[in-house]
Amino acid sequence: MAARQSPLRVAGVQYLNARPLYEGLAECSRIELTLGLPAEVARRIDEDEADVALMPIAAAATIGDLRMVRGSAIGARGAVRSVLIVADQPIEDVDEIALDLSSRTSVVLARLVMAMRRTRAPKYVGLPAGDALASVGGSRGALIIGDPALAIVGKYKYSLDLAQAWFEHTALPFVFAAWCGRPGAIGKDDERLFDDARVLGLRRRDAIADAWAMDRGLEPEPYRSYLREALRYGFGEDEIAGLRRFYDEAARARLLPKTQVRFFDEAPSRSMSVPSVDTLLSRAADGERLSAADGELLLERGSLFDLGLAADAVRRRKHPHDVVTYIVDRNVNYTNVCTTSCRFCAFYRPVGHPEGYVLSREQLGEKMQEVVDAGGVQILLQGGLNPELPLRWYEDLFRWIKAEYKLGLHALSPEEIIHIAGLESLSTREVLERLRAAGMDSLPGGGAEILVDRVRRKIAKAKCSSDGWLGVMRTAHQLGMRSSATMMYGTVDTPRDRVTHLVKLRELQDETGGFTAFFCWDFQHENGVRIEAGDHGTHLYLRQQALARLMLDNIDHVGASWVTQGPEIGQLALRFGADDFGSVMFEENVVSSAGTTYCINAEAIEARIRGAGFKATRRNVRYEWLTQPA
Amino acid sequence: MADLLETVEAKLRAGERLSFDDGVALFRHKDLLAIGRLANFVRERLHGDRTYFNKNMRIEVTNVCVASCLFCSFAKLEEDMPGAHTMTLQEAWRELEQRMDDPPSEVHVVNGLHPGLPFSYYEELLKGFKRIKPDVHLKCFTAVEVHFFAQHYGMTYAQVLTQLQQAGLGSLPGGGAEIFHPEVRSRISHDKATADEYLAVHRTAHAMGMMTNMTMLYGHIETFEHRVDHILRVRTQQDESRAMGANAGKVQAFIPLAFHPDGNGMKNLPAPTAVDDLRTIAVSRLLLDNVEHIKSYWVSSGPDVAQIALSFGADDVDGTIVHETIYKAAGSNRPEGMSEAALIRLIREAGRTPVERDTLYGVVREHPAALLPEGALKVKDRNANRHLQVVS
Repeated sequence: MAARQSPLRVAGVQYLNARPLYEGLAECSRIELTLGLPAEVARRIDEDEADVALMPIAAAATIGDLRMVRGSAIGARGAVRSVLIVADQPIEDVDEIALDLSSRTSVVLARLVMAMRRTRAPKYVGLPAGDALASVGGSRGALIIGDPALAIVGKYKYSLDLAQAWFEHTALPFVFAAWCGRPGAIGKDDERLFDDARVLGLRRRDAIADAWAMDRGLEPEPYRSYLREALRYGFGEDEIAGLRRFYDEAARARLLPKTQVRFFDEAPSRSMSVPSVDTLLSRAADGERLSAADGELLLERGSLFDLGLAADAVRRRKHPHDVVTYIVDRNVNYTNVCTTSCRFCAFYRPVGHPEGYVLSREQLGEKMQEVVDAGGVQILLQGGLNPELPLRWYEDLFRWIKAEYKLGLHALSPEEIIHIAGLESLSTREVLERLRAAGMDSLPGGGAEILVDRVRRKIAKAKCSSDGWLGVMRTAHQLGMRSSATMMYGTVDTPRDRVTHLVKLRELQDETGGFTAFFCWDFQHENGVRIEAGDHGTHLYLRQQALARLMLDNIDHVGASWVTQGPEIGQLALRFGADDFGSVMFEENVVSSAGTTYCINAEAIEARIRGAGFKATRRNVRYEWLTQPA
Repeated sequence: MADLLETVEAKLRAGERLSFDDGVALFRHKDLLAIGRLANFVRERLHGDRTYFNKNMRIEVTNVCVASCLFCSFAKLEEDMPGAHTMTLQEAWRELEQRMDDPPSEVHVVNGLHPGLPFSYYEELLKGFKRIKPDVHLKCFTAVEVHFFAQHYGMTYAQVLTQLQQAGLGSLPGGGAEIFHPEVRSRISHDKATADEYLAVHRTAHAMGMMTNMTMLYGHIETFEHRVDHILRVRTQQDESRAMGANAGKVQAFIPLAFHPDGNGMKNLPAPTAVDDLRTIAVSRLLLDNVEHIKSYWVSSGPDVAQIALSFGADDVDGTIVHETIYKAAGSNRPEGMSEAALIRLIREAGRTPVERDTLYGVVREHPAALLPEGALKVKDRNANRHLQVVS
């Protein structure tokens, strides 16, 4: 029949007044019920350990963006007896009120009620429950909540029942707690379970009161009438109006964040369940994972500053030393002969083209020696998909480079691995194993473009699928090699495609942990002729990179792509989530063929890093510092 | 540090003026985005999303110059030196004639201080432009040139400006301000108009009802204190000019200009970086509460940084320009001109509304969001619904 569902995790509060709402749930097989104190219950919702919790309404407002179950709540219409201010003098005359801080809802209610009744606010002093009661005397009163309150009825000369006072002022019931959860946490059928449980609980009120009293050796009658008469468990129009009034007054008095009363069943469309940009950004800045929907919303609506400041906060949390790294390496394009003919590429030449080349050992050796002379630590080796170069050619080349120059080998993007595998009728794993044995250290993350096949088919028909790209990276990571990850946007991709791309990288990273860093750039369209540019501009680049920093919570580093964006924007990118300035480039044929020709040396890179307020250090491919940051 | 931002924000909200110390502390503050956000608050309070550009052209009729500014890669000292060039009037006029199929609304002329031309050359130059296009706005001659004319031809500032105005001059550009403070000015441009003389020319122009711009050349040997001193001198002059009454002119726009080091007497210095460019725009916006516009001159910072500057306090990117030679001489590898479409795109990509203006900030044409691609429209609709649902 219905698909098997995972259990619904419900958190209840262990206080007496809550029991009628959840006792019935304990018997329902679909529900996994845990009990705790209000703070613990709120934490479970906040940290996604529970789907629905019976939450004090002030705690619900603090978490924000929660939905409520209709029909059931803990409230009172008139005196409740368990939330009192007591004193030896008329409450209107007390100078100080000691607050039992264990219930924020009652504290906020106390302050609102006092403000309604008096022109001059008393002084509030926070104290533990027992101390608050003990300190009553003279011009000091105390806010007393729960069992202690029920126990002191009639013992103080003056007492103010706060639910009653609220009702007198507003003519509305007061709601203390309701079932709350994240938008979409439960469906319609589940809501009915809470309704059924309430009906069952109301029938059992006397039994609940009796059991409670017996456990404590007390008379049951006050508890029976407390549950029967003082408390109300319905959550209808009047209660909703009362709750809305409370939230409005509390927000106006700056006691709680501005909060709307919303229900699970009023969220049929996605738009109703979307948290605000501010909420998302502060969650992301605190390290919470953003959903794809969150990412799209931020890309649509997050301003340059919103995204930049949040990404900067994440960068600071992940890299608290204010150090920005860069690497001295050289990008060598060993061949420009390529069979893919990507529409965005101005570099490749088809097989047999007079301008096609494969670098000779002499040419490569010269370049390598220059890297060594310049204090470089690695070579980045990438090229076209040249059908005339067998696996053996790469293995020989790698062994020779390792033997002669001892440079790190950051070589061959997934596309090239797949190409070699096809050429040799081997699996990509076998190719990677053999190349690794020949000296390959890590993989560049190029060729990812946008990991959405609709986009890939349009811009690079002959290239591997998203799964192909991710598969090579997965295998490489499993073999112990690290790689970077990239994104090239600004062709036919939509904001959703870009977010999907980030989520796919994040999922693989959860699995392997093999990505060291992420770089993004927009399609460089100047001479790359055969495709129209899509969404573009420096403004978007900085926002897009910032979003990546926020979404990719499991990738350590984000690099500024100054080679494509220019060193000025590369510098600004350091304030939008990046903690790495990429490489000192000796040459970079692919991008420069597309009209972008930036070239700066280590000194200029360090000047820009320092100009942005950071210390600079050189790194290796694993982002280990090679120099003292300065 | 946080205290500074709070203090500044409180002052901004209360409409209070920032102090010299506030300005220096803002320049020193590490958190570029926090400063930018404050400047953006002021910018949006003044202009919302509106971002101005114009269709203009620049003509430099002579690069012969008696001054020897250290930062200048453009001027050649004497007429017969290699590379020295002075246009004939016909050559200068032809520059505008060639543009008449898509005419600029403004001609912007800035020159070297040529010792050998008669004053009538400049008058004829302006008259000729007006003959070609009677409604063109002539924004010509920096205060430094006006000061030079007064000295060289034995006239007062008022006489120079009145005669040029009769020949068609509309307003003064802001060049030549460099850094006002004598500690810097005496070292980088000792033999041209002083700060007081520069300001006096502007004051005279304002008194005649003429609008002007002012600039600041930053990123060479000056300190943050010198920059703030400079900006506050602009503010003080503007207070004075605004007190002259409704018919007086004023400073329309303040334009920070980044120093470019190639081919001049300070070629060993690094050029200011993008962070410095944005910070300077932002602090200028925050300090100049009496100047309406802050211009991020795209030729100075490059189009990419200029685009970001539109979120850091700038509300103007200058114009299409077409032919710029001064920054080019100092090693700028940027395009010499931008098409109107490219400027509109640059502004739109920053999430702003492009407004084509004339020189005096009269609106020529607004360019509200064009028809967006289909996907983008859907996104917009979704936002509209969401907003409605929240409101109702």
